[in-house]
Amino acid sequence: MQFLNVLVVLATEEGGESGGGLSLVLPHPDELIAGILAFLIVFFFVWRKALPSINKTLEARQQAITGQLSEAEEAKREAESLLADYKAQLADAKAEGNRIIEEARAAGEQLKADILARAEEEASQTLAKAREEAQSEKGRALAEARREVGEISVGLAEKIVGGSLDGKLQQELIDRYLADLEKL
Amino acid sequence: MAQLIVAASECDVVNEVICAPANVNELFEFPTIFTIGGFEVTRTIILMFLAALVTVAILWFGLRQQRLVPTKFGAAVEGMVAFVRDGIARDVIGPEGQKYLPYLMAMFFFLLVGNLFEVTPLINFPITSRMAIPAFLALTTYVIFMFVGFARNNFRYLIDTVWPKAVPIGLRWLVGLIELFSIFILRPITLAVRLFANMVAGHLMLTLLLTSGLVFVTAIPEIGVKGTIGVFWFGLGLFMFLLEILIGVLQAYIFTLLTAIYIESSIHFEH
Amino acid sequence: MEGNIEALVGPLSLVGYGLGAIGPGIGIGIVAGNAITAMARQPEMQGTIRTTMFLGIALTEALALIGFVLFFIASAG
Repeated sequence: MQFLNVLVVLATEEGGESGGGLSLVLPHPDELIAGILAFLIVFFFVWRKALPSINKTLEARQQAITGQLSEAEEAKREAESLLADYKAQLADAKAEGNRIIEEARAAGEQLKADILARAEEEASQTLAKAREEAQSEKGRALAEARREVGEISVGLAEKIVGGSLDGKLQQELIDRYLADLEKL
Repeated sequence: MAQLIVAASECDVVNEVICAPANVNELFEFPTIFTIGGFEVTRTIILMFLAALVTVAILWFGLRQQRLVPTKFGAAVEGMVAFVRDGIARDVIGPEGQKYLPYLMAMFFFLLVGNLFEVTPLINFPITSRMAIPAFLALTTYVIFMFVGFARNNFRYLIDTVWPKAVPIGLRWLVGLIELFSIFILRPITLAVRLFANMVAGHLMLTLLLTSGLVFVTAIPEIGVKGTIGVFWFGLGLFMFLLEILIGVLQAYIFTLLTAIYIESSIHFEH
Repeated sequence: MEGNIEALVGPLSLVGYGLGAIGPGIGIGIVAGNAITAMARQPEMQGTIRTTMFLGIALTEALALIGFVLFFIASAG
């Protein structure tokens, strides 16, 4: 019953200024007016000033970002073409280098072959000359020897002949020796 | 701080374990400071206008520079603005949300500042714990979504609510009754009371705990060991203080979100 | 006896509010828990789920809030 009474009082008085708990729940008229005014201040500021300014800022930022993005895109494309250029140049340079090295190698190869051939030729020439010289030396030595042997033989023979050149044996010996000498 | 002193002056530290005020109202109703033509200006009313000014100032300084790269403060404000615009207006209502954006944004920032006044030093009073602001905003929301509902759907809005064709005939009257009660009566009341009740409860807890903490600790020379209970109260109060920051932000968000949801349910009304 | 009943109104309304808060407490727990499950299963639906969750919580919480107001009305006498 207490509860119903309170509801009746609530309906008739709408206030509860008596200091009970209900005055806490119901809005105070002066505060209601103040609250409405305060909210309206905020509302009109947001409506008239804040939102348009926000939209403008965001739009500008969006544009700036889009612009920056397209700029970045441009720069990227440029960089890519530059990179391709560099790559092509690098490949060219590499090919050039390879070619030069190849050429150098071929030239070296050639040079080596030439040098070898010349050396071989020289060596064979030297060998031939040496052999020739040895041959002639040998001939000369032989001729010398033959001459010397003849002279010695003759001397020897003279000595033998001068002493006792009689006897058949000695004669025979001399003849054979001479024949041998002839054979040399 | 005024309400702290009121609560503390009546505290009987010898017989009580916590400083409970004799009447809850004295924590929320302040004496009239001056009167302008029958309009009684109290601390609450001054704080309301202060909240409006603070809100305007935050938005003004946060969005003033038309810079492309904002300052830290500007970025924070812009983040909140984008949150209301994208996270609430666009995601919940859809493309039409732009129309209601000024209302939602003003509501969010005003409530945020009003709620956080509770944990602002030297102010320590959430203006949303007075029924005036929640009631006014809830009523405005009610008017908006009622208007949109009837403007979009004519009287189908009311008829289809009471007589939903999608529901089997046996249950239809019951569902219709619940829906009618829920949409047309409960929605605005709960919207207002949710915010109001959260803020009243938070302010009560904070005031009670912090005041009791201070009073008991300062009374240690008189009452001895019993006074150390104040340390516990004060620690609990500090924990509640952090919690209230979270609750203040969350309640502003929920109020705005529910407003958006209610408007959306009136725009895309289907049963 | 009349006076005693008068004195009981305040504490009784407190008990009433406490009882009234049980149901919404359980209800909000269920709503939030299921919303978390749904978000974990389908993170891409997070926005919709959160919106629906708050709508569900608002409906459930309504009872507790009515209890809160009735507490003040009842204890006003």
